[in-house]
Amino acid sequence: MKINQNRIHMKKVININFQGQVIAIEETAYEILKQYIGSLKAYFSREEGGDEIVNDIECRIAELFGNRLKHGINCITDEDVKSIIDSIGRPQDFDSDYEETVQAGQESSSSQPGTGSSGAPKSDEAWLAGSERQSLHRNANDRIIGGVCSGLAHYFKTDPVWIRLLFVLFFGFLFWIYIVLWIILKPKMLESNVSKRLYRNPNDRFIGGVCGGIAAYFRIDSWIPRLLFLVPLLLNMIGMISIFPLNRIFDKVGFNWNINSSLVVVYVVLWAIIPVAKTVKQKLEMMGEEDYIRSIREKVTDNVASSKNRTANEESLSQSKEKENVYHAEVPGGRGSTTGMEEMPPEPPLSEHRTAAVSPPERSGCLNTLVIFLKIIFFSVIGIFLLVLVGLLVALLVTGTHLSPLKSLFIDPGYETSLLFTALGLLFLVPIIGVVTWIIRRAMKAKSRPAIGIVASVLWIVGLVISGVLGARIADKFSVESSSERAVVVMPVNSTKMYVEMLPYGEDYAEFKSGYGPGTNIDELPYLTINEDSLLFDKINLLIGKSNDSLFHVRVISAIHGTDLRSAKADITQFSYEIVQKDSLLLLPEFLSVPVQQGFRNQSITVEISVPAGKTIEMSEALRDYKDNRPPAVVRKRIKNYSRNTNYLPVDISEEGEVFMTFSTDSI
Amino acid sequence: MIIFVLLNDTEMNIENTQSQMRKGVLEYCILSIIKRSEAYPGDIIDEMKDAGLQLLEGTLYPLLNRLKNAGILSYRWVESTSGPPRKYFHLTKKGDEFYILLQATWNELAMGVETLTRSRGESHENQSE
Repeated sequence: MKINQNRIHMKKVININFQGQVIAIEETAYEILKQYIGSLKAYFSREEGGDEIVNDIECRIAELFGNRLKHGINCITDEDVKSIIDSIGRPQDFDSDYEETVQAGQESSSSQPGTGSSGAPKSDEAWLAGSERQSLHRNANDRIIGGVCSGLAHYFKTDPVWIRLLFVLFFGFLFWIYIVLWIILKPKMLESNVSKRLYRNPNDRFIGGVCGGIAAYFRIDSWIPRLLFLVPLLLNMIGMISIFPLNRIFDKVGFNWNINSSLVVVYVVLWAIIPVAKTVKQKLEMMGEEDYIRSIREKVTDNVASSKNRTANEESLSQSKEKENVYHAEVPGGRGSTTGMEEMPPEPPLSEHRTAAVSPPERSGCLNTLVIFLKIIFFSVIGIFLLVLVGLLVALLVTGTHLSPLKSLFIDPGYETSLLFTALGLLFLVPIIGVVTWIIRRAMKAKSRPAIGIVASVLWIVGLVISGVLGARIADKFSVESSSERAVVVMPVNSTKMYVEMLPYGEDYAEFKSGYGPGTNIDELPYLTINEDSLLFDKINLLIGKSNDSLFHVRVISAIHGTDLRSAKADITQFSYEIVQKDSLLLLPEFLSVPVQQGFRNQSITVEISVPAGKTIEMSEALRDYKDNRPPAVVRKRIKNYSRNTNYLPVDISEEGEVFMTFSTDSI
Repeated sequence: MIIFVLLNDTEMNIENTQSQMRKGVLEYCILSIIKRSEAYPGDIIDEMKDAGLQLLEGTLYPLLNRLKNAGILSYRWVESTSGPPRKYFHLTKKGDEFYILLQATWNELAMGVETLTRSRGESHENQSE
């Protein structure tokens, strides 16, 4: 079985405590044994008293080991384990029948004990393929939800992953087929009938082992699929940094979500539908036999190398800490020769390992599904969250200068500003640093240290609390709504028509182009004059009403939010919105201007023009937006009260011409 | 491709029948070994092997477990010099009754099969002669 035996000169031998026996065993053999017992455990877990059966078999194996060791062999080798496994049988041999190998055994019971491991499973698979092909079952052996896909795959002799992928891709109409099949088909334990399958690779994983499994399947290096998954993400990051990103982020929801998120989704889907290779058989199916054995060999030689280093440093360390007794045996010649073996505290019993390692398959299918489902949700949320965080951070870094005036709209300098920066730092930097360290530690294969995670979470939560405080303070600035009105003196107009035109703002101004997210009643951010001493708001509402005498009347209602009425009233007095009349032409300024210190308090201006009977008003097209605006609640209330007294009626707009809209109250 | 499948099918039928035949006898064999004297699974395997009936050990343990759960077998622990303690199985009272029933069925069956196949075989030989 061993390939290129002459190339391996050293094998690591460990002492294990197996059913109360201290057994010296090669590490590769131990690995095989562990996998085998794991598979038995999984297989018998369905049966009543399964633990006991496995325990009995373990006892038997321990006894056989003991017999072998008594015969003057130094340690248990791969061949020993394999021949024992052959005589006990693998789970896939059990289902076929009790005495599956009788014939083969009788023919060649003594002549060729070694070939069983490679020869028997193949004939077995062919046999199974023939026997269970006819009927379609749900596969109770390999399932994620109901085992339907796996059963179909068994029927068509393909890898279940492809069928699952099909079902995920055409979720819409295959969903019902799935449900129907789930109901109709009977569950049955089916053994896989394909020799090569796509598994997640637990030995070569970064997140879920998907890329590792793909690499093993196509026999390529595992960095290739990883790179393929990461390249669009990286490109996107670079893209985000190089192009002014703020409006992209806010305008289109997500920064090229289409590529990134779909990759994340693809990964998560693959994670969900590809099973992890647990048993030796599955690992063989994943890699192909030769590759698997080579990978084990590499691992062993690695361990030997590292243990060499360890033994060099060992003098100072107390030896009792070392649980493994490592020594190097010359494999080709040295099996018979004596090798000094010190008595060492044995490893904890094998059974402890196993219960930890094989517990997942023992969960009921429903729970398993739930766990997978939660996993998917959890990781997609985390993934999206991180992407957003990174995107926002990059955006903040790049556009910090652009955002600083925006900050002053809501946040006072001093205390609140320091709150803001603390919160930002904690909220963004902590998770990013945390994830980066996690990835690095993962790559370095360092042991996980929960303390780091706890500290990071606490810091992050502190950040959350601070931002909550800040949010409360900001919300407080909008707790009171106040309005005040003043009448604009309008000279009597001789003609029957009054023209209303926009008075464009005369100076330059910087623009905040960003639209604003939902949930706020802010349509557009204010503009800033170039000298940065005043803010310009275009939240100007225009109302046309009916005058109760023969004159035009114009009223201006200012509205603002504030922490308290006093400051709101004080702020309103600083509004600058001067309507100019030139004969029959009324000029409305483009912007409401307030001092920059006020910040954003949802300032608005409502201009109400009352038109007397028999006269009309023509409005510039430029004012259409103003006309369509809806005044804030406090103003609406004021107008309602007013109109109750004066029979105020809103005027229908009749649009005539392109440049001017004509309004007339005659028709009312 | 079709031929391959057909081949597989016929093979399967033979194997299936064979295993069906063995399956029924297996319990009887094991019980008879235990009936003779207390035995632990290693003994049973060895005796079966000596008798030319090879079976996978992995299938013996679940079978014993099932028989034990059904109250046909019972066991006691015996310390062993060569390994962990062993489970020595023996028949319970219920097991004795069960065994007697099985024995009767087997004798009946064996006799019937014997007479049937022998007469066939002889007639066959006669024809060939």
